[in-house]
Amino acid sequence: MQVQTLYAAFPFVDDGVWADVHLQMDRSLGWRRWWRPQVLLRCDGSFPFEPFPADGPFPFFEWSCNWMIGRRLNDLLLLHAGVVERDGLALVMPALPGSGKSTLTAALSLRGWRLLSDEFGAFDPELGSFRAMLKPVGLKNQSIDVIRRFAPEAAIGPSFPKTHKGVVAHLAPDLLAVDQRHVPARPGAVVLPKWQAGAVTHLEPWPAHLAFSALAFNAFNYTLLGQVGFDAVVSLTQQCPTWNLVYSDLNDALAALDALWPSIRAHHDLAPA
Amino acid sequence: MTMASGLLQPPALWWLAALRQPQQALKWTLTQWQQVLRQARLLRLLGRLAEQISQAGLLDQVPPQVRRHLVAETRASRWQVGSLLWGLDRVADVLAGTPYARVLLKGAAYIGQGLSISAGRLPSDIDILVPLHALADAQTRLISAGWREPELDSHDQRYYRDWSHEVPPMQHPMVRMELDLHHNILPPVGHVQIDIHQLLTRLQPSRLQGWQVLHPEDQILHSAAHLFYDSELRHRLRDLVDLDGLFRQFVRTPESWSSLQQRAQTLHLGEPLALALHLCATWLDTPVPAPVLRLAVSEGLGRWQKVWLLPLLHSVLMPAPPDNAEPWHKSLASAVLLMRHHQRRLPLRLLVPHVLHKLRASKRSDA
Repeated sequence: MQVQTLYAAFPFVDDGVWADVHLQMDRSLGWRRWWRPQVLLRCDGSFPFEPFPADGPFPFFEWSCNWMIGRRLNDLLLLHAGVVERDGLALVMPALPGSGKSTLTAALSLRGWRLLSDEFGAFDPELGSFRAMLKPVGLKNQSIDVIRRFAPEAAIGPSFPKTHKGVVAHLAPDLLAVDQRHVPARPGAVVLPKWQAGAVTHLEPWPAHLAFSALAFNAFNYTLLGQVGFDAVVSLTQQCPTWNLVYSDLNDALAALDALWPSIRAHHDLAPA
Repeated sequence: MTMASGLLQPPALWWLAALRQPQQALKWTLTQWQQVLRQARLLRLLGRLAEQISQAGLLDQVPPQVRRHLVAETRASRWQVGSLLWGLDRVADVLAGTPYARVLLKGAAYIGQGLSISAGRLPSDIDILVPLHALADAQTRLISAGWREPELDSHDQRYYRDWSHEVPPMQHPMVRMELDLHHNILPPVGHVQIDIHQLLTRLQPSRLQGWQVLHPEDQILHSAAHLFYDSELRHRLRDLVDLDGLFRQFVRTPESWSSLQQRAQTLHLGEPLALALHLCATWLDTPVPAPVLRLAVSEGLGRWQKVWLLPLLHSVLMPAPPDNAEPWHKSLASAVLLMRHHQRRLPLRLLVPHVLHKLRASKRSDA
């Protein structure tokens, strides 16, 4: 049910030939099922996770799925970042602790930017572009209401109050994002968001070496990729102007990014819109 | 040649031959590839398949979806091997100048010799061995260099001290893998006990500074004994692939086959050698001369083992289809082999209290 709601815009593939990750969710059959029902995730015949409570399986399903992606898809540099696209250019928002990248990513995706991912900046070093890693956007605690107020029409699924990250709810990706999920986006700009209570929106250019550490040292597999990872992050910092964004009001922050965008288009030699 | 021994012939896993003849993979459909990727990953053989395919220059001829996973797994494997080499380099530094032997075991030994079976491995820990008389010294030096032992209750302390062939796994903040420090290749209270001095007198140099390896024959016998006496057998086909590689690399002449069999008799490891030879020949077409196999099986396996043990081993080694629950007969086979495994490690008078303790401990951690 929850999967049907939050993946509503995705085509349902019953007998697909290919998948990068196979996850299967079953009720576990131990004696506990009579008093504390649990769900067990199977992946390729192994059970990589401890069973979890059956009353809120969707957040666990999402986390497990992200974990498998983060562990497995080492053909890609997996930055821990939200990514949206406009004019073919990726806007990359690395997740610094407490940055609110998912909230900002969700807000942008509700105002015409195409969502690629709120979790994985999936950069393909061979292609030189970002791939979409499209899944529902995970919203935590206050950000659920923030997004509800920001866009009352947003397709937000049920809230799960008892997860290890507090209350969690998910925003379903829209049809645009789903239709274009196989379209890559070339590197456009990096924005380092920081939500600060009561702050006036402030956007300032940020030096490349700090962009480097923000991208590389928050990645899932930067060290595993070795030289490939280093070269990829260097090329990203060379191609992408970087900005530091401090904000408290989402509408304000989005207006600032809109105002900035023409200069980013110009940086990539795109004609004025 | 397996028919010559008159033993049950199981169906081999259809894609395994591609580990030796990677061009076979070019004929696979996408659906077949999907199955191979899932099973090979589960069996920790995907990195090996990927390295074989790229060494044969075929990486650009496989479908792009597949190629991405092969590239990804190769990266993961090289990173993991790099972490192991870094750990070994640090431990070698700590133990440098000590008068006793420092020996690489298992994956570390294969990597330390640059064997072909080391390509694409995913080592999960670092296995090394020092003589029992040097164990305390090695531990002290490692601890003073920042290695930490886990906190254990008194039962587990006693388990490692009296019943095990290794000390509790050690960790270091700068090394990503656990270090398993051994003083023997099999538990000292098990069904077969190894006089480790017989192995220590035949050590050979490795390519890594400060490290030696077991004699090739002893490496083979250790691998076989570890698989059949010291492992849960489910998803362990990788170990057979290792054994196949060791046989092909080290045992090529009639003299070397008879020398290996001699050695197995001396160390009382005829049974695991016979199982290894039989299973390798059936699953992986290992070129074992028919008389060698016949002799090994007749000396190493009793009638009971031929009738019951071999079918159970075949059943447990075959990976189940990834989306289905395991069939009941396979679970039963696993359970029987697991009991046998535990019983080989610890005699019943020790095993029963050990299992009871573990049950109580797991109840406590559940509550």
